[in-house]
Amino acid sequence: MQKMRDAEIKAIIRAEDAWEPVGPTPMPTLTELRNWDFRLLNTYEPFYAPFCDLCCLCTYGKCDLTGNKKGACGIDIASQQARWILICSLMGTAAHGAHGRHMIDHLIEKLGEDKKIDLGSQVNVEAPIIRTVMGLKPKTLGDLRKAIEYVEREMIHLVSATHMGQEGDYRDFESKAFHAGMLDHVALEAADIAQIVGYGLPTSVADTPLVDLGWGAIDRTKPTIVVVGHNAVTANAIIDYLRSNDLYDQVEVGGLCCTAHDVTRYAGGAKVIGPLSRQRFFLKAGLADVVVTDEQCVVTDIPQLAKAAGAAMIACSDKICYGLENASARETGEILRAVLEEQKQFLILDPEKAAEVIVRAALELAPKRRAQKQLVTKEEGAMLAAKCRGTCEECNRVCPNLLPVSLGVSQARHGNFAKLGELFMRCHGCAKCEEACVNHIPILRLMQAAATWETYKMRSGRGPIHDVEIRKVGSPIVLGTIPGVVLFAGCSNFPGDIDDLAWLAEELARRKFIVTLSGCAAMAAAMSKDAEGKTIYEKYIPEFDAGCIVNVGSCVSNAHVVGAAIKIANIFAGLPNRANFELMSDYILNRVGACGVVWGPYSQKALAIGTGAVRWGIPIVLGPHGSKYRRLFMSKKEAGDWTVVDGRTRQLVDTAEPTPEHMMLVTETKERALVTIIKQCFRRNDTPPGRAIKLNSYISAYKQVIGGLPDDLQNFIRTEKEIPIVYKREVLAYLKEAGWQPKPVLSLPTIIGTYETKVPIEATIK
Amino acid sequence: MYAADVGPQYEGERIRKNEFQVEFGGPDVSHKGELVTVKGLGEVEHEKITVSGPDLKDLPEGFSGPLFIKVEVAGEELEKDLEAVLERRIHQYINYIEGVFHMAQRYDIWIRIHKNSFKKGLNSLEQIGRILIDLFTAELPVIEKMSVEFITDPAKVQNLLVEALKVYKERDERIKGLREEDVDEFYGCVLCQSFAPTHVCVITPERVSLCGAINWLDGRAATKVDPEGAQFAIPKGNLIDLVNISYDNVNQVVTERSMGETTRFSLHSALSYPHTACGCFEAIVFYIPEVDGFGIVSRDFAGPSVTGDPFSTLAGSASGGKQNEGYLGIGIQYLTSPKFLIADGGFNRVAWMSSALKEAAVENLPPELAGKIATEKDVQNVDELTEFMQNAGRL
Repeated sequence: MQKMRDAEIKAIIRAEDAWEPVGPTPMPTLTELRNWDFRLLNTYEPFYAPFCDLCCLCTYGKCDLTGNKKGACGIDIASQQARWILICSLMGTAAHGAHGRHMIDHLIEKLGEDKKIDLGSQVNVEAPIIRTVMGLKPKTLGDLRKAIEYVEREMIHLVSATHMGQEGDYRDFESKAFHAGMLDHVALEAADIAQIVGYGLPTSVADTPLVDLGWGAIDRTKPTIVVVGHNAVTANAIIDYLRSNDLYDQVEVGGLCCTAHDVTRYAGGAKVIGPLSRQRFFLKAGLADVVVTDEQCVVTDIPQLAKAAGAAMIACSDKICYGLENASARETGEILRAVLEEQKQFLILDPEKAAEVIVRAALELAPKRRAQKQLVTKEEGAMLAAKCRGTCEECNRVCPNLLPVSLGVSQARHGNFAKLGELFMRCHGCAKCEEACVNHIPILRLMQAAATWETYKMRSGRGPIHDVEIRKVGSPIVLGTIPGVVLFAGCSNFPGDIDDLAWLAEELARRKFIVTLSGCAAMAAAMSKDAEGKTIYEKYIPEFDAGCIVNVGSCVSNAHVVGAAIKIANIFAGLPNRANFELMSDYILNRVGACGVVWGPYSQKALAIGTGAVRWGIPIVLGPHGSKYRRLFMSKKEAGDWTVVDGRTRQLVDTAEPTPEHMMLVTETKERALVTIIKQCFRRNDTPPGRAIKLNSYISAYKQVIGGLPDDLQNFIRTEKEIPIVYKREVLAYLKEAGWQPKPVLSLPTIIGTYETKVPIEATIK
Repeated sequence: MYAADVGPQYEGERIRKNEFQVEFGGPDVSHKGELVTVKGLGEVEHEKITVSGPDLKDLPEGFSGPLFIKVEVAGEELEKDLEAVLERRIHQYINYIEGVFHMAQRYDIWIRIHKNSFKKGLNSLEQIGRILIDLFTAELPVIEKMSVEFITDPAKVQNLLVEALKVYKERDERIKGLREEDVDEFYGCVLCQSFAPTHVCVITPERVSLCGAINWLDGRAATKVDPEGAQFAIPKGNLIDLVNISYDNVNQVVTERSMGETTRFSLHSALSYPHTACGCFEAIVFYIPEVDGFGIVSRDFAGPSVTGDPFSTLAGSASGGKQNEGYLGIGIQYLTSPKFLIADGGFNRVAWMSSALKEAAVENLPPELAGKIATEKDVQNVDELTEFMQNAGRL
């Protein structure tokens, strides 16, 4: 069986291709990286905070798992939590995987499976994740399909493990969740490379165009199509149809969520309306003549929202059919008539056909819908709010962000919209307040009178980080003199103002971090302007370099930041990455000061991305809502085991420094997040000058946003030389009081050799 | 602690014309400068800060005028040769101050102080002096005493500048004239071993580190300031290979520090036991067999070099601490070294350079060769290069 599998793998990855020798783990199965996972879990133990201490998954139950109680199947509460994590991670991985599958199949149908992968002159290592995980150097769209097939093959086993009476240990569930997360990254990379190649999206260019963002960017005088979701196949077909019919300048195409990113990468004239949290608000405003849904993170009551706004609505993904009639095989004219005359909504799975229906419907509907595009005025708003007495506070009680909605609405009743305007900036758009309102006040509509209608500039997503950029920053990142690489990913459901992310990104960029953003986080970070009216994308250089800010693109573009970390080990340090997951991850964990931030971790996709990052050795900082995932990876700080092998002497050395301190943790405020992100970029490999720079950032940020000196400096200062000169006297006094002792500084720290692995210690030294 | 925040995060701040409270030096002010002088321990009054002439608070908003920064230091371990290294720290440390920018060096300085920092209370040069003394003495314990004087009086600045220009000239002549034969010690650097575990950089008066950041004087200063650091002295020992320039003790240190990976270094050859590289090099010398000559390409050169390989591909062959004959990583300043690839024929062996590098090397290029080394403006591939070399009479 194993022999057959080995032969099959060799054929899939073309083992005879001599670009690098095949490493120890080509296309790993569920258990092949288990020792690596357990090694991580030894230091970073899962911390569980169950929402629900029952298991209701089978008819033996429901089973109470509180205390030491076990389920009828024997499962305990830790394993049950880990099982949920695996289930949720699988949802995320499946969403990205199916996205990739759809995109790749569609493009193969259009362009053929032999369509070459060429990411331009600046990107030679085209697919660092696929190369590392699978051992395959993808050359064509057909090769990308192999990557998705691998993800699919593994997923069936992972889903199986969640069945009752299967896996029974929390650590194995976590290992499987890591596997799901890693597969998620394979799918992300395959999907984004496919669309870059298939649609000719920008690549090998850093200075991508600035695009308009915001609901105010939509020209209400034009027919307006709004695409919602994450898979731009239909959105791009709409652009093609507009272009080929000379209508490109006459119709507005705006996107909500990641389809917006990808359609603006394809067509600079398209608009980004906003992130996930603005879907419901915008659709209720009625500015869209046609609403188009594709897949992932699309609010599920869109058909009703569109109907209420008098807009046409077409669903385009087999994942989201909404009970609609499938019109894929019907004549375009016939569909159009039903849309316009009967206000029927349809499912159309043929992107080209859908595009024609959508554009023609928008052209027909727009002149008739002018009245419906009028926004609620302050006077009308006051009337809508008239019934609110501000006393029942039902709305406050259901708000997941604990916002004082009732105060905003009751003040609006008197024509004062200031408070409601403030609330809007922190609102996720879940509409639970409307549902709870005993007077049926349409609170989200009311916000039209309070919301800012400003337009912002966001740099469109640029795709892969360039190999030359990696060469330039590889040394300072590994030495520690660039204090870190930070990725802001995830959604926009954070409890602070919408400008939290812009604030964090800017605080880090001005401290010379390399800041990257993706997905809804990249959009939210654009929704804040400085005194001169500029967004961070207008102020900072879009390169992968110290003090720069890069939008990599949509959710699937997250792959490129993990890819950049791998490229540092592969291109810069020259370590082979082919089928060498542990070697790459060990390098990243010990030497590449990277940190992921999921400030608004709403979706299961965000969980899968974050869980995958941890397996690669990249710590994750979550926003407050992240605690709802119920699992963190936290070390015991100085009391934990921080032993590594010194590659120079091959001896075990107790470094006595908890770096990176945790692999996944929640922070409650943007201020706490800032200092935590900085700290999570410390690495054991930092040289003393590099650590001094990182500590300087840590101390200066701590003083600025929290006050005083951090109380854990003794854990991270290894020699006196590392004390930042600006704070030297103060820190020395503190260290004396804290009983600080010097710690060893190693230039080749590795955890290979501290657990059972096929990777020889020699492999870490090249 | 200080009126304005201080830290490396403020390096690189730009202050525009309408944002500064006061500006010193710059292109429109003819007299300006800064000078560090090493003095005897009895000659420096520690922590003395003086402002001669009007101070920040006395100057009108938007003022632009002359400034001279005179720093005197003393310490048992300090020596005259370190003055230039210390002087460069003025630039670094002043840029650490929030809302203060410092550009260039010596007689060419340009300083701006932001209105916001002035409003926050940074209204005296004395405060900048305090910060400088604190940072210098915290970072460099070899400085036992230090005084700073800021002179804004135009006549005094003019006089000080005349004297300072003589000092700069003397210094330049000394380092320019310094040869490997004149010194007993070279300096080694293993800072990059964290990613290139077997690489050792050897820095001589005629060979700057391949990252371009450390010359012989910097190496000397670093070993004095931090004897336990990544830079260390290498007593050069005996010259055992006159052609390729190889020293026995250098080889021994390289053997030890590279964990036995490399046992012999030619200091000035790309073809025979070449110096290894980490990956930080500013430029790569690569051998082109078709013309029996070298190409040299710098990191910022976009697109393919004359052989079709871009910098990134060549870098793969030159880096990783591996000796790979025909590939040599260099600092750009090495192009101006009298010993530039002397073992291989120096510039006589160079066939192609990216045009920016050719410009950087122009002073050191033999005049008869200047038109005979091709750039990307002349040729696009090896066939065209061969023809170019034939036409130039070099093949």
